[in-house]
Amino acid sequence: MRSALFALMLMICSASAATAQNLQPILQSHATEVTNPSRGSVGEALDAITGSGLPQATAFLEQWSEKNIWQRDDGVFFIGVAEDETLALTDVDTRATSTAPKTDFKQLKPNGGVRRLIGTALVQFQLIDPDLTRRETAVASIARRPEAAQLAPLLASIDAETDPALRARKIQLANFLSARFADDPTSRIAAINSLAIDTSVESRAVLNQILTVKSDVTRAQPEGNIAVIHDPMDAPYAYYTTLVDASLAPAKQTAADIKRALEANIVDGRIAGFPLTQMSDPDTRKTAYAALAADGLVPVLITDELRNAALNDHVFYDLYDEPNADITAAAQAALGSVTSRVAAAQVADLTLDALSLASIFFLAAIGLAITFGVMGVINMAHGEFIMMGAYTGYVVQLFVPNYTASLIIALPLAFAVTFGAGVVMERLVIRRLYHRPLETLLATFGISIALQQIAKNIFGTQARPLTSPDWLAGAWVFNDVIQISYIRIAIFVLALMFLGLIIYILKRTRLGLEVRAVTQNPGMASSMGIDPDRINMMTFGLGSGIAGIAGVAIGLYAKVTSEMGSDYIVQSFMTVVVGGVGNVWGTLAGATMIGFGQKGIEWLNPSNTLAAQTYMILFVILFIQFRPKGIVALKGRAAGD
Amino acid sequence: MQNTFIAKNPSVLWFLLGLSLFTVIVSICSEAAGTALISTSFLKTLGKTLCLCLVAVAMDVVWGYCGILSLGHFAFFGIGGYAMGMWLMYDRTKDIVVASLENNILPATMDEITDAIGAQIFGVVGSFDFPLIWAFSHSLTLQLLAVILVPGLLALVFGWLAFRSRVAGVYLSILTQAMTLALSLYFFQNDTGLRGNNGLSGLQNIPGLETVSQATLSLWFFWASAVALAAGYLLFAWMTSGKFGSVVRAIRDNEARVRFLGYHVESYKLCIFTTTAMVAGVAGALYYPQAGIINPAEIAPMASIYLAVWVAIGGRGRLYGAVIGAAVVSLMSSWFTGGSAPDINLGIYVVQWTDWWLMLLGLTFVAVTLFFPKGIGGLFDLIPRKGDRR
Amino acid sequence: MKLRSTLLSTLSASVLCVAGSAAFAECANPIKVGVLHSLSGSMAISETTLKDAMLMLIEQQNAKGGLLGCELEAVVVDPASDWPLFAEKARELLTVNEVDVIFGNWTSVSRKSVLPVIEELNGLLFYPVQYEGEESSKNVFYTGAAPNQQAIPATDYFLEELGVEKFALLGTDYVYPRTTNNILESYLQDKGIAADDIFVNYTPFGQSDWATIVADVVALGEDGKQVGVISTINGDANIGFYKELAATGISADDIPVVAFSVGEEELSGLDTSNLVGHLAAWNYFQSAESDANTDFIAAWKAFAGEERVTNDPMEAHYIGFNMWVNAATEAGTTDVDAVRTAMYGQEFPNLTGGTAVMLPNHHLAKPVLIGEIQADGQFDIISQTTEVPGDAWTDFLTASAVLKSDWKDLGCGMYNVETETCVQLTSNY
Repeated sequence: MRSALFALMLMICSASAATAQNLQPILQSHATEVTNPSRGSVGEALDAITGSGLPQATAFLEQWSEKNIWQRDDGVFFIGVAEDETLALTDVDTRATSTAPKTDFKQLKPNGGVRRLIGTALVQFQLIDPDLTRRETAVASIARRPEAAQLAPLLASIDAETDPALRARKIQLANFLSARFADDPTSRIAAINSLAIDTSVESRAVLNQILTVKSDVTRAQPEGNIAVIHDPMDAPYAYYTTLVDASLAPAKQTAADIKRALEANIVDGRIAGFPLTQMSDPDTRKTAYAALAADGLVPVLITDELRNAALNDHVFYDLYDEPNADITAAAQAALGSVTSRVAAAQVADLTLDALSLASIFFLAAIGLAITFGVMGVINMAHGEFIMMGAYTGYVVQLFVPNYTASLIIALPLAFAVTFGAGVVMERLVIRRLYHRPLETLLATFGISIALQQIAKNIFGTQARPLTSPDWLAGAWVFNDVIQISYIRIAIFVLALMFLGLIIYILKRTRLGLEVRAVTQNPGMASSMGIDPDRINMMTFGLGSGIAGIAGVAIGLYAKVTSEMGSDYIVQSFMTVVVGGVGNVWGTLAGATMIGFGQKGIEWLNPSNTLAAQTYMILFVILFIQFRPKGIVALKGRAAGD
Repeated sequence: MQNTFIAKNPSVLWFLLGLSLFTVIVSICSEAAGTALISTSFLKTLGKTLCLCLVAVAMDVVWGYCGILSLGHFAFFGIGGYAMGMWLMYDRTKDIVVASLENNILPATMDEITDAIGAQIFGVVGSFDFPLIWAFSHSLTLQLLAVILVPGLLALVFGWLAFRSRVAGVYLSILTQAMTLALSLYFFQNDTGLRGNNGLSGLQNIPGLETVSQATLSLWFFWASAVALAAGYLLFAWMTSGKFGSVVRAIRDNEARVRFLGYHVESYKLCIFTTTAMVAGVAGALYYPQAGIINPAEIAPMASIYLAVWVAIGGRGRLYGAVIGAAVVSLMSSWFTGGSAPDINLGIYVVQWTDWWLMLLGLTFVAVTLFFPKGIGGLFDLIPRKGDRR
Repeated sequence: MKLRSTLLSTLSASVLCVAGSAAFAECANPIKVGVLHSLSGSMAISETTLKDAMLMLIEQQNAKGGLLGCELEAVVVDPASDWPLFAEKARELLTVNEVDVIFGNWTSVSRKSVLPVIEELNGLLFYPVQYEGEESSKNVFYTGAAPNQQAIPATDYFLEELGVEKFALLGTDYVYPRTTNNILESYLQDKGIAADDIFVNYTPFGQSDWATIVADVVALGEDGKQVGVISTINGDANIGFYKELAATGISADDIPVVAFSVGEEELSGLDTSNLVGHLAAWNYFQSAESDANTDFIAAWKAFAGEERVTNDPMEAHYIGFNMWVNAATEAGTTDVDAVRTAMYGQEFPNLTGGTAVMLPNHHLAKPVLIGEIQADGQFDIISQTTEVPGDAWTDFLTASAVLKSDWKDLGCGMYNVETETCVQLTSNY
């Protein structure tokens, strides 16, 4: 009853909406659209709200978009913020504040499409708002839904803009809008020409929007701003379908149509004289259909000849939606220039991706390059060391909430943990098996199963979050095509650092000298006073420790699960083998080859990443068959055998 | 010949006797025999275990005798299963389709039948056309040949390439593992035409034998598996004895020396690698109709590694060791992971086998490798034998 | 991880007796309910929850006096995420343990593995997970969503509410994404979206290298059309995908992503503050506001622990179990054929408000909910449809458009309406 009265009151109010001082009545008169907004229906309500010219309209729209509008049981709208079971309410007009229990209110949740429309409606208010964030929001809204009406206010706002970055952005957007919506063809063409060097997605979108076409077919010569005339023989089947859809030709009978027609013409158990039993032969079916067609009982069979004749009688063409041929020509030229730039940029981006993938493979494999490559120990549990490193990072984040600090702690800690694990494993297992490499493989595999299961029992099978600090979270953007996330750059840098470190240790330090000596001839080395046991232990520990650090990096970029190690183990071994055992440069070459190879195959068949992985492995298998010693093969005495 | 062969290998006789006895007892206890002391599902499990024993024997020959640690024999096993499964699926679906098309007014053309079968088999994975890989699936003979030939051919090509370039030892193991990974990824793709992750299912329903109950069918498959195991065991026992066997073992112990003695090492290795792959294929073809479903997860690299684990625990270099290893470890694995093993209450912590079995298996395996390289089969050496001079 | 499926049948089932408070005098043997969910292996994380949910439902029912005067007893087995083992365990449940009904399975492949066994032995299975459709078995009730109860409404939302004109269908390479994307491709083309405006990509399980794919998606915007992503990416791979999305700075306002396999569980593996506004479509969210849901969540937390969350398949089991109880009560027996007949038209209030109805095609009529990801990893429901009847055979693929499932009147799950014949009585596995 109360709400009915209220509605009545509202009707009176809304009659004089233009002079109304309050927003609430306007909202009430569009209550359905406001409470249950849909992209199709909310426009009217938005027009009414913005058209009211009320200063509180802006605030309301902003809060609505933020899902901060609540409706009381009696239909009145409030701005509200929920705290547990109570709401801190603000009146939409008077700004009076109050609190109330949440149960009497219903939250309005406009969906993404509606929020975008609200954003567009807010543009006119926000564009000249003193608050920089609001102006940025407005500009972002224009970029998302460019409209002709926005051009004038946008142009007007440029002069007063104080923020240089936003000002540049406004000029760029104004240029986009001019290219599409300016009244004067000359200024449009000028704007279009200026886009020829802009590789951004938005710029290409502007050009493509100008160049939208409609496909059509006609018997006569087509008129208007023609984009292209097609040769129907390029794809006769598809073009004939267009013809049929335009009801310019009868549909071509399918096998099912023929079957149905035959079934409809059975006379005394025969079709056109043929007994039914012969109908399992497709040729007989055709003959029978032809006979029926000759008698006029069924439509004539559309043969390929008939179809082609019909196609050649018609002109298939694309018509630009833009009537001005000069503008489309300019846009076409600009797009051509952009496209070649984009293609070059795409190659660069693909190279970056491949480089990044290669550095991930390298990072995963570099520990192995030491344990397997230099020492010749097969460690199937290498993947589990990566996993241990990643879980170390996760555990550190549990205790140190600051992501930067936790990362600084996690990296050395992961090294320490996996170094320790590696040393223990070397002493307990691998030392006893130095002359039985196949057994090492199996024993370390047993350890790998056990470690995975322990991780599962402790952390569960679910993936655990390992979050990168903010300064690693974004992406380095060169332009809209070439960009790469910071975490990938970090992995790349880390991989380079490890490469340098290992080369340095092996070539320039006493330890490296001893490692090389022990690897080449343990007997001679020990007679020179080197303790091979200690060296082996240290080397294995170093390789394992590096795997641990790699684990933190990989966990940051992908996921942390108990099975993450097995994702990398086969790949890592292949990286080392393909590159050439016994040489860190070889591992680098191997990782580069696999990374680039995989991206290359992906690029050839972008819809199926799995196929790329399969073919890459196949390629590696074949490669090893023909170059068993890998890309960088050791020569001479160092090669061992 | 047979006499001397048996005389030289008394274990073969004992094994065959044991297997026959086992088969007879199981048959008497089965549901089909009326006693139902063993449920049909357990009978299927036993039949499958026999197939696993067969592939383990093949693995033992290639690894324990020839020294090639192949991490790809379970992939051959899976290929055999797929080859068998394709015919089973095609023919079963064809029966259904033909029956449903019979009501049509016009008799169906061959194309219509093929299309309908395609829609039935591939409809569930969102496709309708028959891929090329199914070209022979209409013929049982051709698919049975494929069970042997496809793994054999794959092993032949792979082995030829690898042995020719003298890829050996751990490198070969890694390469075989890569091959297995590539194969499982390949089978995993929907585009391959083998129904991707879903694989081939309903394989326990044998076309033409719809009237036979699963209890009886399982018994038949159990027998077939037992016969296959016996035949495979005999074949390999024969291969590994005599001069051929000596050369093979010599290759394991010192490949270079054998090569210098003038033997063409690659041919011997290739022969062993290919034969065992073909036997693995046969084992797979018998296994999957009992399991009912085959999918790419079955041929993941892990499965092949477990195969090596079975053989290592059972005891390398002796065929019965492989059989024992496969039977014991696989039966124990499923018992422990099946949730029916009793939990151990330590007071402060309850050990649940589902969680801890794999760790125990892993560590057992490490221990076996380190301390008991002869495995369970090594226990038989402790039995004093008449005329044993070794 | 593949462990051979070999298990001593007599020891196979860990029989859990759930003692009820009432005395069950009328009945000598308890009614057995099979629970066939993986408790170990890769699927354990998802399926263990459903096992617990079943135990809770059975306990609640026993507290209410059981069924037909009998106590209900849960028979829990562990198929260990090993698909062939599902068939073996199902056979054991039906022949050795002689259960009256089975609640179980998560993945499609496990269901396909179980189907022949259930049909051979005339068992009864309740399957609680959203799936790709294109199947109808006399012995299975599908309480999860068919594509038209999740994918199609979400796509409509994209088309109508977000004005998406260009679609990227990203999925993990297995049967559910393949079939769903096929259906969607065909549906979108019917809606006037050109084939060129649909980008499809499949990645392996656990994919982590998403840079190129995300870049491809961004590049789709180059012709000025609104781009939207429909994701059927499964499990762990989502983590890498959302991390890459966040790193690239793609907001839900620029390129919205709707996911069909991402729930509260998956989101717990990452920081959602950069993903606010991206979407998921389900038939149930924990944040649904209804009294039934409040009670259910409270009961669940009391039973399983304060930190546990509820999810869509749990609601499916909740509805399925209660419908089964009501149907058996109506039929006066737990005999499979009698219960099946009584199931048709069963109604039960679902947890999001409204009523679920069991249709003759063994699917439910359920509402479809679309939720936006919040910074706290929960979902904010922004759209809820009325009840949508599940469709076993999609209308958007030519081969299955002519098929219809009606076990009540036609007695056939694969009925060709054009030729008016029943293609087959068993299901297509």
